Amino acid sequence: MNPGIDLQGTFIESLQGFGLPAGAAKAIWMPLPMLIVLVGSTVAVLIAVWMERKVSAAAQQRIGPEYIGPLGILAPLADGLKLVFKEDIIPAKADKWLFTFGPMIVVIPVFLSFLIVPFGENLLISDVGMGVFLWIALSSVVPIGLLMSGYASNNKYSLLGGLRATAQSLAYEIPLALAVMAIAMMSNSLSTVDIVQHQSGYGLLGWNVWRQPFGFVIFFIAALAECERTPFDLPEAEEELVAGYQTEYSGMKFALFYLGSYVNLTLSALLVSILYLGGWEAPIPVGLISSTFNISDTTPWLQVITGAIGILMTLLKTYALVFFIVLIRWTIPRVRIDQLLNLGWKFLLPVALANLLATAGLKLTFPAFFGG
Amino acid sequence: MLKFLKQVGDYTKDVVQSAKYIGQGLSVTFDHMRRRPVTVQYPYEKLIPSERFRGRIHYEFDKCISCEVCVRVCPINLPVVDWEFNKTTKKKELKHYSIDFGVCIFCGNCVEYCPTNCLSMTEEYELAVYERHELNYDSVALGRLPYKVTDDPMVTPMREFAYLPKGVMNPHNLPDGSKRAGKTPQEIVAETQSAQKVAAISEGSSEG
Repeated sequence: MNPGIDLQGTFIESLQGFGLPAGAAKAIWMPLPMLIVLVGSTVAVLIAVWMERKVSAAAQQRIGPEYIGPLGILAPLADGLKLVFKEDIIPAKADKWLFTFGPMIVVIPVFLSFLIVPFGENLLISDVGMGVFLWIALSSVVPIGLLMSGYASNNKYSLLGGLRATAQSLAYEIPLALAVMAIAMMSNSLSTVDIVQHQSGYGLLGWNVWRQPFGFVIFFIAALAECERTPFDLPEAEEELVAGYQTEYSGMKFALFYLGSYVNLTLSALLVSILYLGGWEAPIPVGLISSTFNISDTTPWLQVITGAIGILMTLLKTYALVFFIVLIRWTIPRVRIDQLLNLGWKFLLPVALANLLATAGLKLTFPAFFGG
Repeated sequence: MLKFLKQVGDYTKDVVQSAKYIGQGLSVTFDHMRRRPVTVQYPYEKLIPSERFRGRIHYEFDKCISCEVCVRVCPINLPVVDWEFNKTTKKKELKHYSIDFGVCIFCGNCVEYCPTNCLSMTEEYELAVYERHELNYDSVALGRLPYKVTDDPMVTPMREFAYLPKGVMNPHNLPDGSKRAGKTPQEIVAETQSAQKVAAISEGSSEG
């Protein structure tokens, strides 16, 4: 199969053509994708926030943001700007250092996880061999930050929120990891690129949802809980805990939490689409169409189109999932803490284990379908 | 073993049922997305208050006879009537009159009982001020008439739900001259008056 566009390779080659050594060319290349991902993920968050507001409004028969830019697109930007200019308050008896580090520890791993998100075969920062595992490891750093900020705020609501967030993350990380494990077993790799490639070739029919329906549901529920989205938003349940661990935060530190939660949301949606919905693969494979018209895989314009379709497809699937998550927010009421833990430990964990076992058995019996 | 299997089966049934309910709920929320927004874009569009709207109270200083009925019927004795007995004319002389709309509950009792009709309800409801004492209206402030929503060139007036034609749910882009369902008060008055006239004429003719 054709590897598609290799931006890094061509960039380095062209720089070497100017007489630069290979190492220097690579050093020049390195910050570029990082910058693009940082900017891209922030823009993705703005879109997610805008979508959340618009979809929420529509679900409640309102209009939503309307006058801030066309259709209110700039509303999230205005939100962010407002938070930047707000006074940054540290409560008198709070632990200053922990209070400041909390939001950072929450945000950094989430942004770091974008390292492994592929938008095309070569359109990712780094194809880490243990891609998905890295994401799981990074996402388990987040509850430390939440607990830290909850504890450092010196506020009972913050502390309760932080504790809840930790309990929730711990409970749902395991079914999440088990669901991912089943996928990894089928694709014989932890790398996100390999996982998507394993689903490619058959369009819609080749996606992992059909092979892992239970895994998909488990992963989706667990991802919702990891993002602290409704119905699992009880760490910041405003009716009981004011705002949970965010209670004492304002200004830029609150903005970090806000940003982190939405980056996490888009990241989870991205990973659901990568692991289960075929990532950058179109419902009808582009390769199939091009081969019916007898166009070679190496045609430059076809490669550009394939790359563009790949990015478009990934984003389309991601935002469809975000839309669904927002819809869920206005449909399902919040669960109680005991219900949450019961669901996590007594339902998702056994089902995820059974799913893993069944996947292993099916892989042995039908290696053709479940990745030999 | 059988008992365990039954438990598993029951649990699965529960799960399927709850999934069904969640699906139903999602279909309801999804259906709401295609419904028309019910909101009015407030500072640019405003609803026309109904003719019985109980807004800020209007007061005519010259009509007032300082009888203090408004104070007595008020649940909290709110209106302040400052008068003095003039011994030469042997009449009450009204000096000041005020109502604090920060405290008023707009029950309309004072308007109802005022013997000289010097109190009346307006359709003004935008009483936002910078300080609560500004809501204490004196006789001059009470005498001001509010701007009508329909006269304001900045505002698109919207009819309230009860004033829309039959079956219409949306106040936007109504055709000109569309009338609300049922008779208007003016029509009812005109009808009763003409009926009375007819009755009077027939009575007169039977007598004559």
